[in-house]
This record gives sequence, C-alpha cells and structure tokens, in this order.
Amino acid sequence: MKKLAFPFSAVSLALAGAAQAQEVDPAIAELTKPESAVSVGLGYWSKDRPRLGTYDGMNQNGAYGLLDAFINTRDERTGTWFILDARNLGLETRELRAEWLRQGNFGVFAEYSRTPRDEPYTVFTGVQGIGTQTQRVPTPSATNLGEVHLGTMREAIGAGFSKILGGGYDFRFSMKSEDKTGDRLWGRGGAPEFAAEPIDSNQRQMEGILAFVGKTFQIQGGYYGSWYTNHNSLVDTANINAAGVTSNPFFLSLPLDNQAHQLFVNGGYNLSERTRATFNVAYTHATQNEQIPVGAGVATFAGAPTHLDGRLDTTLLQAGLTSRATNDFSWLASLRYYDSNEKTPQVRVVQTAATCGTCVDNTPLRFETITGRLEGTYRMAQGMSVLGGIEHARQDRDVPFGNANAGGLDAQRYVPWRAQIDETTYRAELRRSLAETVNGRIAYSFSQRDGSEFTPAAADAPQANLINPIHIADRDRNKIKLMLDWTVIEPLTLTFNVEYAKDEYGHSDSRPYGLRDGTASVFSLDGAYSISEKWQLSAWYTHDNTKANQFGQRNANAGAGEAVKEAHLEDTGDTFGAGLRGLILPKLRAGFDLLYSKNVNRYPETVTLTGAGTLFPSAAGVSAVGPLPDITNTVTRIKLHAAYAVQKTSEVRVEYTHEIWKTDDWSWMFANGTTFTYGTTTDGTQVSQAPKQTADWLAVRYIYRFQ
Amino acid sequence: MRTVLHILILATAFIGQAAAQQPRKDMVLNGDAQCTRCHNEGDEYPVLAIAKTKHGTMADARTPTCTSCHGASETHVNRPANATERPKPDRTFGKHSKTPMAERSGACLSCHQGSKRMEWQMSAHATRDVACSSCHKIHSGFDPVRDKSTQTDTCFTCHKEQRVQMNRPVHHPVLEGKMACSSCHNVHGGFPKQLVRASVTETCFTCHMEKRGPFVHNHPPVQEDCAICHQPHGTTIPSMLKARPPFLCQECHSHTSHPSQAGALPNGRTVTNSLLGSVARGCLNCHTNIHGSNSTQNSATSGRFRR
Repeated sequence: MKKLAFPFSAVSLALAGAAQAQEVDPAIAELTKPESAVSVGLGYWSKDRPRLGTYDGMNQNGAYGLLDAFINTRDERTGTWFILDARNLGLETRELRAEWLRQGNFGVFAEYSRTPRDEPYTVFTGVQGIGTQTQRVPTPSATNLGEVHLGTMREAIGAGFSKILGGGYDFRFSMKSEDKTGDRLWGRGGAPEFAAEPIDSNQRQMEGILAFVGKTFQIQGGYYGSWYTNHNSLVDTANINAAGVTSNPFFLSLPLDNQAHQLFVNGGYNLSERTRATFNVAYTHATQNEQIPVGAGVATFAGAPTHLDGRLDTTLLQAGLTSRATNDFSWLASLRYYDSNEKTPQVRVVQTAATCGTCVDNTPLRFETITGRLEGTYRMAQGMSVLGGIEHARQDRDVPFGNANAGGLDAQRYVPWRAQIDETTYRAELRRSLAETVNGRIAYSFSQRDGSEFTPAAADAPQANLINPIHIADRDRNKIKLMLDWTVIEPLTLTFNVEYAKDEYGHSDSRPYGLRDGTASVFSLDGAYSISEKWQLSAWYTHDNTKANQFGQRNANAGAGEAVKEAHLEDTGDTFGAGLRGLILPKLRAGFDLLYSKNVNRYPETVTLTGAGTLFPSAAGVSAVGPLPDITNTVTRIKLHAAYAVQKTSEVRVEYTHEIWKTDDWSWMFANGTTFTYGTTTDGTQVSQAPKQTADWLAVRYIYRFQ
Repeated sequence: MRTVLHILILATAFIGQAAAQQPRKDMVLNGDAQCTRCHNEGDEYPVLAIAKTKHGTMADARTPTCTSCHGASETHVNRPANATERPKPDRTFGKHSKTPMAERSGACLSCHQGSKRMEWQMSAHATRDVACSSCHKIHSGFDPVRDKSTQTDTCFTCHKEQRVQMNRPVHHPVLEGKMACSSCHNVHGGFPKQLVRASVTETCFTCHMEKRGPFVHNHPPVQEDCAICHQPHGTTIPSMLKARPPFLCQECHSHTSHPSQAGALPNGRTVTNSLLGSVARGCLNCHTNIHGSNSTQNSATSGRFRR
C-alpha cells in the first residue's frame, strides 16, 4: 500500500480526542480548511504572436503584469462561503467573480469578464472610416497604406441569486449582459473590395428557475430571455477619389435587434427504484421587428417592408424512460419532438420591374424533427456488457418558396430541397474487462439517411438541381470505435483509441454531383508513467485524417467549356504531447511540457473538359486551374516551469515557453506568393500574415497560499 | 501532602479513563469517526480534503456522511474473522471498482438528481458506463473538471479527436481558459450531443445572438444547424469552417457561372468574381453577409447576401 509522507498521525488524533479541545488541531485544519492563494508576477513575450495570441490578450511583444487571486473562506459555524476568483487581472483577458453563499440557504454572485479576439492577419489599407458606419474605399487605389488593428472585445457583467425555500424547493436567478465592440474582416459586398464590419452590440440573458427536488420526483420550470441590441444597423460604403467625390455606393445591412423568450419545464420521476421517467418541454418565441434601415438615395420596392415582423417559434417536447429491469439488463426509450417554425409574414422585398422578372421575397423556414430512440444494455459474466440500440429521426421540412416562375417553380431558390428526411441509426457496443488491468470497448454504428423526392430549384436550373446538398443528401454512415485501457504495470498505463467513420452519399445519373463520399479516422495512444513517487511522465500521440471526395460540374458559359470537377480534399494531422513533473529537491518542483502539431490540408482537384471551350476560371487569370497547393500548419510549444518553496505557504515560480507557429497558407496570397491586394484600380488594401511566428515567454510569479 | 498526591493521581486516572471512554470525535463529516480512525491523509485513499469542499461543510445539515456514498460497509468496518483480506466498502469509486456504474452514480444522484442532472440516466455518458466519479474528484479541495481552465484535461481523457481539434490554430478560446467544454455541453443532460440548449443553433445563439435573425433574407443552414458549415472544436480554416471556399459552398450549390469555379489562385490583382472564390475570404469576398441580410435595396443581389 502506497503511503504518503504526512505529519498527521494517530498520536495527534488521540491527543485531539483526549484533550476534547474545541479548537481544531492546526494539523487537521491545514488539511480540512478551504485554501486561498494570491499570485503576483511579471511576464515578457519576446515577439508579436498574432496567431497563437488571438485569444489570450498577449498577441504583442512586451511585458505583462500577472495577477491572480483565489480567496476561498468558509465560516464553519454558519457554513457561509466567500469566494473571490480573480484571474488574469494584468491582462486583457481579466475576469473577476465574487460569490457569497450560505450553504443550504442562499447565495449571490457577481462576475465580470473580458474576452478579446485580436485579428491574426495584418491589414494595411487606405479605406477610410473603419470603425464607423461610413466607410470610403479609395479610387484610384491608395498607395499610402496605413495599418489597422482589427479585433473584437467581449466585456460581460453578470449576477445571480439562489435561495433554498425549504421543502425541497429552490429558486435560482441569473443575468448577464455582454458588450461586443470592435471590427472584423468583411467586404463591400457589391464589389470585392475591403470593408471592416463595425461591431458595437450588446446581448443580455436572464434566467429564473423554480425547482423542486424530492427523492422520487424532481421538477423545474422557468423563464429564459435573451435580447440582442445592435448599435449599428447599416454601413454606407462607396468609392472616394482624391477630390472627395464618392461613387458606386453600396449599403451593407447589419443584424438588427432581436429577442427571444422561453418558458420551460422539465422533470423526472422514479417510477420504482429501477425505473425513471423524464420529460422536457420548452417553448420559445423569438422576434425581430426593428425598422429596416435604407441607405440614402437607395431605391426600394414599393411593397418592401419597413419592419420585418420576424417571428420564430420553437417547441421542444421530450420524454424518456430508463430502467434497470434486472441486475443484468437495462434499457431506455425516448421520444423527442422539435419544431422550428418561422412565422414571419412573407412579403416581396425586391422587384426591379413592373412584373416579377427579378424579384425576391423573404422565405420563412420551418422544420419539425421527431426522434425515437431505444437502447438496451445486457451485462454478462466476466465483466462483459453488450449494448444495442436503434434511433430513428424523421424531419418534415417546409419547402421555402419565394416566387413562382411560369412553370410554377420557385424562381429564387438556388438549391434543390427535400420536404422530408428520414435517418435510422443502429448501434452496437461491446465492453469488457479483459483482465484486472485491461478494459476494452468496441462500438459500431450504422446510419442510413434518405428522404422524399427533391423539389427542384428554378433559379439557375437545370445546373442547380444536379447536386445532392450535403445536409439533406442520402447518406450511409459507418462508424467504428475501439478503446483499450491497459495498466501494463502498476506505474504505467496505456490507452489506445481508434476511430474510423465512412460516409457514402447518394447520387444518381440525374443528380450526380455534390459530396460523393468521405472518411474520418483517428488513432491515438496515451501513456502515463510514474517513474517514482517524485517523478511522473505522460505522453500522447494522435494521428487523424479526413477525406472528402466532391464532384461538381460547370456548364458551357461565356467561352468556358463544359467540364466535370473532381476534388479529393484531405486533412491530415499529427499531434504529439508530453509532460514531465517532478520534485528535484525537497523544495523545488519542476515540469516540462511539449506540444507538436502538424496539420496538412490537401486540395487535389481535376477539371476535365467535356466540351469545347476554356477552363473556368480562365487560365489567363490564374496560375493553374486545380489543384490548389497544399497548406501545412505546425505548432511547436515547449514549456518549462520550476517552483521553489520559499516557505511552507509561499513559492516562487519561473516559467519559460518557446513557441513556433508556421504556415504556408495561401489564403491571402496571389499565385506567385505576393500579398493579396484588393481591387485593380480601386482600394489597394493588403492583408497578410507572417508565415513563421516565433516567440519566447519568460515569467516569474510569487504565489502565497493561506487558509 | 501524600493524600493530596493520591487524590491528584486518582483524579488524573479518572479523567483519563473518562476521555478514553468518550466516543471518537468526527473530524470532517458527520459520523466519520469510525472511518477516520483508519483513513487519513497518509492512507492510499486520502479522505480528509473533502472537508475543504461543499460536501464537508458540517453546518449544512444536507451534507453527507461517509456512509451516504460508500454504504454502511459492515464487513469493511468489522472484518469477518474468516476473511483473508478486509472486504471493500459497499460502494467504491476508484478505477478498479467492482461497483456497477449506475450504483456509483446513484450515490451522487440521491442528492444531485435535480437541476442539470435531471436527465442524467438518458445521457450518452450514463449509457456508456461513465459514472460521476469518472470525471469528478470528491475527496479533493480542487475538482479540475469544474474549473474552466483545467476542465479539458478530464474531457480529453476520452475525447481524443476534440483534443487535436482544439489545438488547431482556429478554435474557440477553450485552451485559453475563456470557455470550457461545458459552455456548450451539458455533459449530464439528455439533449442531442449533450448540448446546453435544445439544438445546435439555440446553443450557439447564447453567444452569437446576432445570427438568430430572422433576417429579411435567410440562409437556411444558419437556421438549421451551424455545424453544417462550422467545426466548433477547431480547424485550420478561418472562421472555423469545415472546408475552404469554394469547396464548402459547392457542397450545396451547383451553378452555371462563377459559383461553379474550380479552386485556383489568381495571378494578381483582380475584381473578377470567378478568380476570387479561393483567396482572401473566398466566396464571402462578395457574399459577405452570409449568415443573413436585412437589405431591402431593390437589387437582385440583396437576396444573395451581398448587401
């Protein structure tokens, strides 16, 4: 039996008992009283790290203050907790939460947090007005470009209250308000020119729950409301020349204020010691009825709405039954109904001629899904159990219909649609304790999806109807998963994990295109080894691969010949992690972590002309039509840390991190590797990223712990 | 003087005897005395740190005793004379425990069946023999799975694919400690994919409410399921897209003109839409409001998310 070094002894226990002292023995108190800690320090990043620092508030080189505190106190007599959790106070990611709780009675909390997202790309632009609702794109192209830093900041405050009312009842209330500000990469829409979406919005959430919890029956119900307010509504963009004259205006709409109100109730009842029934009911009413802004001088159709009167109602009805029918056999059955029903009145929004030549109506969407599930598990001797299950989902989908053409088909829909989808999934799983030290699991599932005949689209027909849209296409899916957990020897455990999935999508002569098939595989090996009581080592490796074979067509048009496209998209990842923790000296702990991740995206695509004409896009404008170059991303991160115990209650911790991110991503490049530049005669904005970003982090912290 | 000494000796003996006859004191939980006479921090299974947690708050009458979770364990306490080894407690929770998973979780659910755990028995975790103790540390002042900065250590023990996805360059700020798996998943719940809300979209809207609409011009997959286009655990493609434009868009769209372009890199600056489907923002260079548009401009392109 492993024994830990510990000052506490039977003697101190005996003494404590014999003395009958009311005060708690200090040795016992140290082990039983909640702990607090304060950490103060300074860190320094040697270089900018735009990619890996996207979210941690440290994307720029320089010094950063490190201040964290966790104050955790409890009044033993009343069971009253005060918890103050302050994290990253010296960083843009700072957050603070304070909680006061009289356990078994009531509690209140308040919290504050900031979540930055710094755009990892470098943007040099001459576009004026970034951050505002009036943006001007230079014409001719700007030559005197300035750098703009895009990014967003979420800043949230929240509060909550809970009260145990007695008799099994309790009430909980929480609310959160979050402001989001900043700018993100966008486009002018009307022309492929640069714009930055100005973000200045707020979202609020509020939830109140009244619950009853008894031994056999539990139920809770309440209200959940959420409100979105956008302080921007329309962005006026135009070209502007040196004389300040504007041209080519495009007005870009933004999301408008919306809100949702949900009433819900869910519960469970133990019909017997072995059988439990549950239910879940929720109804949500969401609206969006803000005034729709129109740009100055913009023509609108006479019948276009000034307010959408948007309404989306969702209904959830869910019931389940689980039972351990015998010691060896358990089963569950569930039925679920989910209805997403947009009830926005349908109106004409666009009509460019006296009659509907080119016109657009809004197209509310409704889909209802009913899912039934039945599953059973039988436990046999020798630690073996078998699970079998079946699940069927039927989805009824209204076919969105804009406006009819002469043939009665929807003239504005570009994608064929199905009014019904059925998917049946069969599952089987075998779990077994192969020995005292080995546990294994193998799971297999097969699902088959099909549905009603496709309702063709009229816009861009017949080409638009040659495809099987990925989310409603017929699909056979096979998945298998193996997991083995092996304690090789007492200090060494290994975990093997293998997953493989294969999708085959339906296609026919009349509808041959879309995703044809795909595979996904994951192989993983984890190991943990206790070298000694003082040293522990862990390591893991994962290889993953996904493939998707996609077929498409291009008909003869504007000089381009009819062609068939075949893309074999592939992502391959190799990730290795390792960690070592140890006690070098009685007062000195140290650790080492390594992460290496390499991911390769491949885009092999062949385009075969099946008629006279050129390739598309025209070979004159591109280096080659398919395949696109591979993209490789790698991350290497080495972390070292050491902590020296200055006293029993305090330590000095030193951290060092070396990280490298590399990419040959061509997303913001031309074929010859030069930086992507917007426009030909206008704009001139350049977007890029450093292909190799290396940075070192050194930090020192002083940590003080107390009770 | 001798008499006084005798009295003192007698009195000391009496007090000592009385102290010895006093029942052993509970240390951290009500009624734990018979357990802590053997189990302390020097034991293979250290137990006292439970006192640092809510479970160990003795002022709260609802808190458990050792036997609430481990059972009365008569044979463990009083080892039968014929037993070669001390029998285990009635319920154990360690890795090599023989206690059925449902019984292990049942010990917790006898108090914690309410709130988010109402449908635990229906959850994928429960039906795959994951017990509460598979993820939670009870006898510890710090339960890593309940802290967003350390939660993934527990989840990645089984979810290996998500571990590598989270380590890809484009991801939600989970490894940065600003979110946790439980921000989106109720791992105790009965919703599909164990989400915190009834559907993928409802879950995403808790932070991305601007995508909720309804819009004047809807893009149906946005209303149906964000995961048709996005891989929320992480990818190498900006905006956590599952595939890169134009391939992603061409999974649903087949067209006569520029939307059917093959992947290609332009030789240089261009505004030709058939040359811009792969670079910069791809198809979104023009279809910039892809999640929905509220434009009523009398233009056909209003309905194509370009306004």
